[in-house]
Amino acid sequence: MDCKDLVEKLYFYLDGEVLTEEERKAIEAHLELCRKCCEKYEFERFLWEMVRSNGRNDSIPEALISRIESVIAQF
Amino acid sequence: MVRTKEEQKKVFQELLIPELPALFRTALRMTRNREDAEDLVQEAVTKAFAAFDRFEEGTNFRAWIFKILTNTFINNYYRLRDRQKVPSLEEMEEETSFQPSFEGITPEEVLLNTLTREDILRAIESLPLEFRTVVVLVLIEGFSYKETAEILDIPIGTVMSRLHRGRRMLQKLLWEYSMQKTPFEKENEKGWTAKTL
Repeated sequence: MDCKDLVEKLYFYLDGEVLTEEERKAIEAHLELCRKCCEKYEFERFLWEMVRSNGRNDSIPEALISRIESVIAQF
Repeated sequence: MVRTKEEQKKVFQELLIPELPALFRTALRMTRNREDAEDLVQEAVTKAFAAFDRFEEGTNFRAWIFKILTNTFINNYYRLRDRQKVPSLEEMEEETSFQPSFEGITPEEVLLNTLTREDILRAIESLPLEFRTVVVLVLIEGFSYKETAEILDIPIGTVMSRLHRGRRMLQKLLWEYSMQKTPFEKENEKGWTAKTL
């Protein structure tokens, strides 16, 4: 695997999308060897984790849960 | 198996309650308004219960209810006035990514130190809806590309291209927000280059 192949597959890898075992191993082997790709990978991993964790951080209002429960009770 | 209405409600509620926080935050990202988000969740729940006898037990309830939520939003809340201009391919191909070319400081540190949760949410909510929904479903809620394609009723290739463009737009916005907060003197002193790929 070269740097171009890695860039093409990196998001699949980060998103946990199905890759063959062979492709996954090739990505990991390339990341071990290539500092530039490894930096890119670390940066992308950090960025999307930051987006994910902040995007999941809203708490649901208690009043909405009660409202939904009473809506279900009336069905 | 035939169930009484009460049994049906109980099963529905058991499946629904764990998903409510995710439904609410997704509704919030789509409507960008707490009141509308609460109404949207309630409406989606009402529709889901009405259709619950058609839900096949043992299949993916989470994807099923998200599909109802996104359809309800598009049909009832997403009015013409909310439609945004989708950036052209040329705009999209502008430099949008980060270059790890800082001296003595990583771009991770730049972002970590400057961006707040509000910035991140503002960036997500600034995306045109078709990109925002894919970004939220895949990157925040963790749906697979295939599940997202089913939820939004679009081909998987469209999910991938919207996700790719959505990521680029988000990166660009976050980078802009981050640079707006970085004092110019500090840039010089550190020799930072706000270069993009």
